Amino acid sequence: MSNNYFNTLPLREQLEQLAKCRFMDISEFPDGVEALKGKKIVVIGCGAQGLAQGMNLRDSGCDVSYTLRQAAIDEKRQSWKNASENGFTVGTYEELIPTADVVLNLTPDKQHTPVVTAIMPLMKQGACLSYSHGFNIVEEGMQIREDLTVIMVAPKCPGSEVRNEYVRGFGVPTLIAVHEDNDPKGEGLALAKAYAVGTGGHKAGVLMSSFIAEVKSDLMGEQTILCGMLQTGSLLCFDKMIEEGIDAGYASKLIQFGWETVTEALKYGGVTNMLDRLSNPAKIKAFDLAEELKLIMRPLYNKHQDDIIDGTFSRVMMEDWANDDVNLLGWRAETAETAFEKTPAGDVEISEQEFFDNGILMVAMVKAGVELAFETMTAAGIVADSAYYESLHETPLIANTIARKKLYEMNATISDTAEYGCYLYNHACLPLLADFMKDIKTDVIGKGLNLEDNGVDNARLIEVNAALRSHPVEAIGGVLRGHMADMKKIV
Amino acid sequence: MTNGLPIRLVDLTVNFDDRFQLNSINWQIEPQQHWVITGANGAGKSALAAVLAGVLDKSAECVSGSIDGLPARVGLVSFEAQAELIEAERKKDDADIMDVISEGTPVSEILYEDCQDRALAEQLVIKFGLEPLLDRAFRKLSTGESRKVMLVRALASKPDLLVLDEPFDGLDANTLVMLQEYLQTLINTVPMVMVLNRFDEFPRFITDIAYVENGELQHCISRDDAKAYSELYQLLHLKTTDLSIPEADPETVIPCLDPEQPLVRLNGITIKYDETEIISDLNWTINPNQHWQLSGPNGSGKTGLLSLITGDHPQCYVNDIFVFGFQRGSGESIWQIKQFIGYVSTALQWEYRVGTNIRNVIISGFYDSIGLYSKCTDKQRAIADEWLALLGMLDRADQPFNKLSYGDQRLLLIARAMVKHPPLLILDEPCLGLDDMNRQLVLALIEKICAGSMTSVLYVNHHPEDKIKGIENYLALGT
Repeated sequence: MSNNYFNTLPLREQLEQLAKCRFMDISEFPDGVEALKGKKIVVIGCGAQGLAQGMNLRDSGCDVSYTLRQAAIDEKRQSWKNASENGFTVGTYEELIPTADVVLNLTPDKQHTPVVTAIMPLMKQGACLSYSHGFNIVEEGMQIREDLTVIMVAPKCPGSEVRNEYVRGFGVPTLIAVHEDNDPKGEGLALAKAYAVGTGGHKAGVLMSSFIAEVKSDLMGEQTILCGMLQTGSLLCFDKMIEEGIDAGYASKLIQFGWETVTEALKYGGVTNMLDRLSNPAKIKAFDLAEELKLIMRPLYNKHQDDIIDGTFSRVMMEDWANDDVNLLGWRAETAETAFEKTPAGDVEISEQEFFDNGILMVAMVKAGVELAFETMTAAGIVADSAYYESLHETPLIANTIARKKLYEMNATISDTAEYGCYLYNHACLPLLADFMKDIKTDVIGKGLNLEDNGVDNARLIEVNAALRSHPVEAIGGVLRGHMADMKKIV
Repeated sequence: MTNGLPIRLVDLTVNFDDRFQLNSINWQIEPQQHWVITGANGAGKSALAAVLAGVLDKSAECVSGSIDGLPARVGLVSFEAQAELIEAERKKDDADIMDVISEGTPVSEILYEDCQDRALAEQLVIKFGLEPLLDRAFRKLSTGESRKVMLVRALASKPDLLVLDEPFDGLDANTLVMLQEYLQTLINTVPMVMVLNRFDEFPRFITDIAYVENGELQHCISRDDAKAYSELYQLLHLKTTDLSIPEADPETVIPCLDPEQPLVRLNGITIKYDETEIISDLNWTINPNQHWQLSGPNGSGKTGLLSLITGDHPQCYVNDIFVFGFQRGSGESIWQIKQFIGYVSTALQWEYRVGTNIRNVIISGFYDSIGLYSKCTDKQRAIADEWLALLGMLDRADQPFNKLSYGDQRLLLIARAMVKHPPLLILDEPCLGLDDMNRQLVLALIEKICAGSMTSVLYVNHHPEDKIKGIENYLALGT
């Protein structure tokens, strides 16, 4: 049925496409939304992402309406309510697609093939089709009519953030790309830039990438460090604390809010700053644990990246799509039944610092996961900028979803594709870390080191600090966060 | 402690020559307490102090309520008492039937007439450097000199209560320090009540503070209550400061509006959720330089209506709305609308969850953003600092916004809304969720704004007591 586009390319072009990624300066957007002015934008799908982007574009002065399938309109489904209650015109594909100059496909990945197949014949000659994820083009090999321009604009945050940040007067980092096989008029980049401005993305940083680099790095990040590691880490840390007699409510809270707290430090100052929040002995402990974790997990990260690059992952997942999502739904139900998920956070006060002090293992897991994902991606030919965004940068965003409603919220917020990959990772990683976890005690998860003396060996501390600071993810992170700081993002 | 009983004022209303009234004062002064009475000019501080000094038997009339526990011997130092004494001296002179030029009563006589402890009085005379003046006529002294005499006289009278109305006014720096130190030695001997206007003059030993406004005792707070203490400081600052609201930034230009056009014109607008109409077919025009008050019960659509104007409500695109020269939905962006509006609401405060310092919060008003995402100019920064000075918060400019009290946050958000001097300032229940003191603070700030700008104010509330001077147009929803 599908034909993996990436696999049809010669190696030279594969490498070239994978390595595409450039951070754009805000001065590259002097025309604002001009390229979209007077054009009719029709959004397909009105979930969180679709609604948020449409509202932002409209508030930026664009003409936006929504198209839904006839059934969604007739049954007044949530997507219909989302659009119509917010004052948008809603119509069927037949009614609106032929009028559209730009069509934004913001439906879930697995609907892309049927949706695009349905709308393509209806589209105006020379119109533009925009994706927010390249899966359909890259992994499924969807062929788009030659007269159509195909672009991608992918805000690197959940829909709610896309809207909230815009309303605040800011935006979220956004990745844009032009599908070079479909840029007949050479206007793809101008449209993508205007679209990024319309959603506020240009204020937070725009990454000019390729469909391929986006897909291969996005899949890798989301299923390993972003969702997989946090899910596996949550389950392992919780079970260990219960086993060691720590109050269940405390354990639940330490994890649910711990990821958010420790990755907040990551957001501000990278892995280095996250570890600098620990005492010296705890930092050395976390460093050693992370080294051990990296050694154990590296083959798993490699396997995920390999399966993504050669298309195995998407093929297996699409088999599950074709099988009514039996695996996905089963794993989702399984997650809901875990002890961590079922134990509500206790009514205990945990100070910001305590999350670090008592969560040394969590810090180590984040460090190991971020570095492994980054190292694996760059080893596969993805450039450091992309790898940074898809690993370190997004970790705090996912951690925030866990703080809201644990793993349920995380898996509900992320795409089905991310969720599917997350479960794959989790199933492989849990047994992989079983032996490692046997030696773990409450000093690194639950209670803290509790030392009488915070003394450490000078030489060892220097060694650890140097290793932390010289990791390549810290180098690119320094540069990219510097861009952000220039924009005075004070969130 | 010489004083056994607390002094109790219960529902006391006092008339001073029909010129001024103290209303329903409830106050209790315990032994071991030392009070400051503070408030703006004309608030009734001295009147309240005078009540303690026994004015009720003389020039003021108790209308209702009671006062008990007042000690027999009250030492009083005040400008009024000083003036009275000088006036009495003058009268003595006039009353002299002999054709002799009266020298007036010598200082020594004034000092020692009421004296209970001659040795103490003599010590104090030396302390205050009054020796050379002892034979001088009291009425010939300078204000500062006669003030010192009053102080020594009061201190040497061995009072059971010391009432000192602005005792530090007119004293040179050395004397001031000396007096403060001396009063410190009395703290276990005599309870003190001082009228003071400046927080930095409050002696360390003060235990409690009474805040008076409009003849009412509005707040009694303990010195130990750090939060209330700092709020009171700000309130007094806003009430007494000569600062007016800072000017707009000449470089942050808001486009000129056609003065013939209304700021806002809502034509037959409707807001509905699911099939329920919250507002139906409403017309409303706000013209330049009109102040409006919008009221209505909960759920009557006040906030919804405002957000149609600000562009925050998505249904602004399906209504006939003309704002600041734009017909909504004609290709304008919300930032083109928001530049004309300053906006404060509880919801904004909830949304303002960014970890930034309070100076940046004010500067963000230039950019209509929550948080600051643009490099600000030096001028904008300077204007923000002027606002902080007005609010009495300049020393806290670098503190994080989210660590401030709820009331302080509200004040800052009002300053943020006003910093660019927008044509329209929308205050959506600006006092909601605030306690009395913070409510007064906010209202004091809003009055300053109304007095010092060309901005049209749209004020929303349902508390009739939170009136703002100068509002002449009313729209009531849901009635």
